[in-house]
Amino acid sequence: MEVILKLKEDIIIPVELDALLPEKMEGMDVEEIKDIEIPQGRTTVKVGDLFDVEIEESDIPRMTIKNSSFKLKRVGEGMTTGEIVIEGDVGMHLGADMKGGRIVVNGNVDNWAGQGMKGGELIIKGNARDYVGSAYRGGYKGMSGGLIVVEGNAGHEIGEHIHGGMIYIKGNVGYFTGIHAKGGIIKIDGDVLGRLGAEMIKGAIVVKGRVPEVLPSFKYEGIVENPVIKLKKKEEGVRIEGVYHMFTGDYVNKKPKGQLYISVDRNPHLG
Amino acid sequence: MEYIIKNGIVFDPLNKIDGEQMDICIKDGIIVESVSKDAKVIDASGCVVMAGGIDSHTHISGPKVNTGRMMRPEDSYKEVYLKRGLKPGTGFSVPTTYKTGYQYCEMGYTLAIEAAMPPLKAKHVHDEFVDTPQIDKAALTLFGNNWMVMRYLKEKEYELCAAYVAWVLKITRGFAIKIVNPGGTEAWGWGKNVHGLDDPTPYFNITGREIVRGLCKVNEILGLPHSIHVHPNDLGHPGNWKTTIETMDCVKDIEPKPKYGERETVYYNAHVQFHSYGGTSWKDFESKGVEIAEYVNKSDHVVVDVGQITLDETTTMTADGPMEYDLHVSTGNKWANCDVELETGSGVVPFNYSPKGPVYSVQWAVGLDIFLNTDPSKVILATDHPNGGPFTRFSRIIAWLMSKKYRDYWLNEVVHKWARTRSSVGDNDKEYTMYEIAQITRANQAKVLGLSLERGHLGVGAIADIAIYEINPEEKDPKVIERAFRYAKYTFKKGEIVVKDGEVVKEVFGDTIYVDVKIDESLKKELMKDLREVFKKYYTVQMENYKVPEYLANNWKVIKIDNSQIS
Repeated sequence: MEVILKLKEDIIIPVELDALLPEKMEGMDVEEIKDIEIPQGRTTVKVGDLFDVEIEESDIPRMTIKNSSFKLKRVGEGMTTGEIVIEGDVGMHLGADMKGGRIVVNGNVDNWAGQGMKGGELIIKGNARDYVGSAYRGGYKGMSGGLIVVEGNAGHEIGEHIHGGMIYIKGNVGYFTGIHAKGGIIKIDGDVLGRLGAEMIKGAIVVKGRVPEVLPSFKYEGIVENPVIKLKKKEEGVRIEGVYHMFTGDYVNKKPKGQLYISVDRNPHLG
Repeated sequence: MEYIIKNGIVFDPLNKIDGEQMDICIKDGIIVESVSKDAKVIDASGCVVMAGGIDSHTHISGPKVNTGRMMRPEDSYKEVYLKRGLKPGTGFSVPTTYKTGYQYCEMGYTLAIEAAMPPLKAKHVHDEFVDTPQIDKAALTLFGNNWMVMRYLKEKEYELCAAYVAWVLKITRGFAIKIVNPGGTEAWGWGKNVHGLDDPTPYFNITGREIVRGLCKVNEILGLPHSIHVHPNDLGHPGNWKTTIETMDCVKDIEPKPKYGERETVYYNAHVQFHSYGGTSWKDFESKGVEIAEYVNKSDHVVVDVGQITLDETTTMTADGPMEYDLHVSTGNKWANCDVELETGSGVVPFNYSPKGPVYSVQWAVGLDIFLNTDPSKVILATDHPNGGPFTRFSRIIAWLMSKKYRDYWLNEVVHKWARTRSSVGDNDKEYTMYEIAQITRANQAKVLGLSLERGHLGVGAIADIAIYEINPEEKDPKVIERAFRYAKYTFKKGEIVVKDGEVVKEVFGDTIYVDVKIDESLKKELMKDLREVFKKYYTVQMENYKVPEYLANNWKVIKIDNSQIS
């Protein structure tokens, strides 16, 4: 079953949509879906007040949100299966604590996309802001599985406290990518502002663009060609193409195993 | 208002009542012999009736608790308390003040003792007490690393030290003497710690033994209701059980001389679970709970609270600054640290006691070892909230103690195998009776705190703080036990129904208890001369601003002790 939600008009006060998971709405009729209560600011409204609802046939649980805006928060939070497609921008905590399924955003997303994500796929066609795949504010359990792809740029502290899974950013990122990382792989095609992998213990960060400087607490290991990233002994590893400067760190920790791979072509000043 | 609680099965260890079916009469907040015909009848048939519970060691208020709240937004996110007519609250291990009060009360608890109040930060502690509803409160003032105390004790000026303690207790509205890692927190100011009881602290050159013995003497000179309340050296280090026994042993010749209450002991060992570790490192780490229990059983001067680990994700906080630094280094978790000028220090680190962790599982077993082997009149149920786990887990601990089956289920199915091989929990068949549960949750506390005249029992004249639990005294089903003790059927606070069927039905604000000891005038003069100099030279505040003002309590309840003859 596919549920199509169309935002009737732009809203000013944000709503939280974690109650609207495709798997939860499976088997409901239009009226039932319109009756679901969702929090808006300090009050509660019904789905029917804000959205036009339609249902179509589909073999997997699906939800499409049209006319979406940054005011729609917590879309796909805790999702375990199915697919959500968002036409337009979407607000904070997209796919937070997601365990499975797939979310595609044809637009930009606000902060905290894929917060604490454990599995599934999150595809963002536009830009993302800060804290993609991070932990809850103050927490120390970030993304632990699944895949996040951002085709545009992303902000600061991408993959904060990441434990596992993969984040792939095709554009540029800000400061502190992979801060406190304890696992997982972060791949960046674009440029990095700096302070890559601060306090990381495990995991790998690959940068194909320009990196102005690497933190002094990282150790230079030399140039590697087409390296295979292995985070666990028994793993097969992920092979990446290209020639990279390799660093390990962050040596502010005891016995760190974090790895940085930074493109040699774009960064002749390193190494 | 009059009430009569009918047909309840009463457990009142202080009056030696073991499961008798009887009626309890309440008039104007006091338990009385009889009431008039107009009294409202509460039917408690099939229910257990006990005095209101007392938590004699908890951290619910003050700067370090608040630091815990501030540095852990993720803990706030974990649990939300939202009930009609009540103030909303958040936090699982470091709940907000209102949530703390409501939840204690839901469990039938009516008094909680904040276990660490730095004198300089006393205003913060009392200010949060004002916003902690439902329960009565008192705070233990920290003295174990205080410059004045260390100076006087080194010079063996016990009377002057007693005068100083009396002055601080009155000024900061404290209840008793708390000692945390004697000498160690001061050493932390020098980037060090002390190891064992006879390791002197830098500069003051005084050992933990001298501090503990000195303050114990001072406590009995003053005749305070509570004994010294001690967190010994070497908390959480493998092999620390010897230090613990040494510390207990060093005060055994001192006589209890309370001028208020019926205390018979001179030494209260807080969270003894953290102090009962054998081995030399985390690799050969093992439980010495049985050895500690044996020592406690054969000594008349000691009472211990367990500080049971509940295997939750929690927030550790203590005035033992160096210990928290060690914890931060070993876990890599975020850490807050504070130095309180001339008085003490503290640290806060979040901690996840995972049941899968071998060391944590043994720690869990150590606590149970102590519970199961100690005389129930000498042991107290506490989790050192939130260090061992949040107080809301008390009912689960009661279930572990009352049901061997439930304990074995955790031992064999939930925790790591080290708990089986490195402790004797599996071999112990003891199951706590309802009478013993009443002892370890209220009676022992009331007695050792010196409050047993009016609290912790259901005799005539006692304050009508009463908990009614819907449970058969012979119940063995752990789920029923856990549920019954988590949500009381009724809680009475000062003769009013404040909880019904586990829901807070009335918001009340309790008293803050403190001790005011009158001392000899000439002694006070001598002390003031020293104090003025110290304040002028070292403190960042004026002596006039050090005082906790009158308005920082809903209602002060003072225990006055006249001690003007010592000089």
